[in-house]
Amino acid sequence: MYIIVVGGGRVGYYLTKALLAEGHEVLVLERSLTICEALNEELGSICIRGDGCETTTLSEVGTGRSDMLIAVTGDDEDNLVACQVAKHLFHVPRTIARIRNPKNEDIFKKLGIDVTINNTNIILENIEGEVPTHSLTHLHDIRDKGLELVQVRIPGNASTVGKTIKQLELPKDSVLSLIIRKSRRPIVPSSNTVLQAEDQVIIVTSHESEDELRAVLRGE
Amino acid sequence: MEFHRILVPVTGTESDEEAIRLACRLARRDKADILVVYVIPIERTLPLDAEMSGEVETAEAVLDSMEGVAAAEGCTITTDLLQAREAAPTIVDEAVEREVDLILMGASYQRRFGQFSLGNTIPYILKNAPCRVILFHQYSP
Amino acid sequence: MKIVIMGCGRVGARLAGLLESDGHEITVLDNDSYSFRRLPPGFRGTALLGNGIDADALRRAGIEKADAFVAVTQGDNRNVMSCQIARHIFNVPRVVCRIYDPLRRDLFENLGLEAISPTTIFAQILREKLEAPGPQRDALAEES
Repeated sequence: MYIIVVGGGRVGYYLTKALLAEGHEVLVLERSLTICEALNEELGSICIRGDGCETTTLSEVGTGRSDMLIAVTGDDEDNLVACQVAKHLFHVPRTIARIRNPKNEDIFKKLGIDVTINNTNIILENIEGEVPTHSLTHLHDIRDKGLELVQVRIPGNASTVGKTIKQLELPKDSVLSLIIRKSRRPIVPSSNTVLQAEDQVIIVTSHESEDELRAVLRGE
Repeated sequence: MEFHRILVPVTGTESDEEAIRLACRLARRDKADILVVYVIPIERTLPLDAEMSGEVETAEAVLDSMEGVAAAEGCTITTDLLQAREAAPTIVDEAVEREVDLILMGASYQRRFGQFSLGNTIPYILKNAPCRVILFHQYSP
Repeated sequence: MKIVIMGCGRVGARLAGLLESDGHEITVLDNDSYSFRRLPPGFRGTALLGNGIDADALRRAGIEKADAFVAVTQGDNRNVMSCQIARHIFNVPRVVCRIYDPLRRDLFENLGLEAISPTTIFAQILREKLEAPGPQRDALAEES
């Protein structure tokens, strides 16, 4: 794939390195000459000095034949505009924007950006997973479907311990996908599987049903 | 100072011929091999392996004429045609890969924005070359 | 009309003064309080410190009840983003955006923003001035 990365800062740098390692053709657009030179020195002529929102620059680097544009500058407005120009002027099939302000996530989606990556939320998700008392952890967003993958831990004293899956009244849009037990391999639950204390349950659900799901599974 | 393998990058400018003649004289002395490369730069708007028939034709003509210049000096040369995004790193890579011990290149007098300029390629090669570099500066009165 | 102006630079401040004297209710938003010194003396509208690409700051500026929104900060992209928020999130009836880059202006005009490029307009004015017969030179000639 030909991938254009807008912004050669820390995120841009590691992203580019990873994409190059996967064998993609990558081009970085960066406004600062110093950063540009450093990137070229280390990763080998993959960075061009220029503004990724500027239509002329985007046209020179062949945005028209690119498969993806990823905007990871430190400014939300620049990432938005770079993606919009790529999408509407150059018909890039997939545009991804980094977001600093979590409140912008909905706005960007309404304005037609395919995918938004929000540092703050990613950090939060990771912290959630590390806090043992946290009952529900977000694992993954299935963005275009409005679904998410979450993990719920069943505490030893939960009223649902010893109940079968069929006895639980799970929200309609939630599917219990996997149970991970301490001593055993992961199991795909059937309706007769009995919940045990300390089970890690992996569920596909929607944002709206999250609270209900947690309550049902933990018998709260 | 002895040289066993000399790399001469050419671009189709007037300094090419003189650079080849100079390379031939050095090569004769040390019984060295001469490798002449022409790099076709590919714009980002095109994939790297794009068919560049027009450019390839020009490049081949340049390389053929370089063979002629070398023959007149009593030398045989090996030629190579490459497609790349940037000439300079490609030349350096080639020098590393072919274990070249001298890069000899011509530089013609050029002005950019009203100032004398060596361009981008030459400074990069001088900085990153894995071997000695001789820069042949074309004198144009 | 209730009008929100984002960016209190020379243009923003002057526009605020003009619109206020026409009897409109003005709120000016800028992320640097020092900019508000440009507002005309006696300005009775609201000057608010805030980031115009933040939906909450726009709400505080009363964007939900605004009849018009104008973005005239120095950053093309900030203007574009705030105007799109005003138009598509808050459904402000009239939104005008300053975009210096003519190509970007054309694109966002196509995407439904009313946008003005001072670059194009000012270059045109200069051309007309230079190509028209010059009054100064005539005046000089008469004097001598």
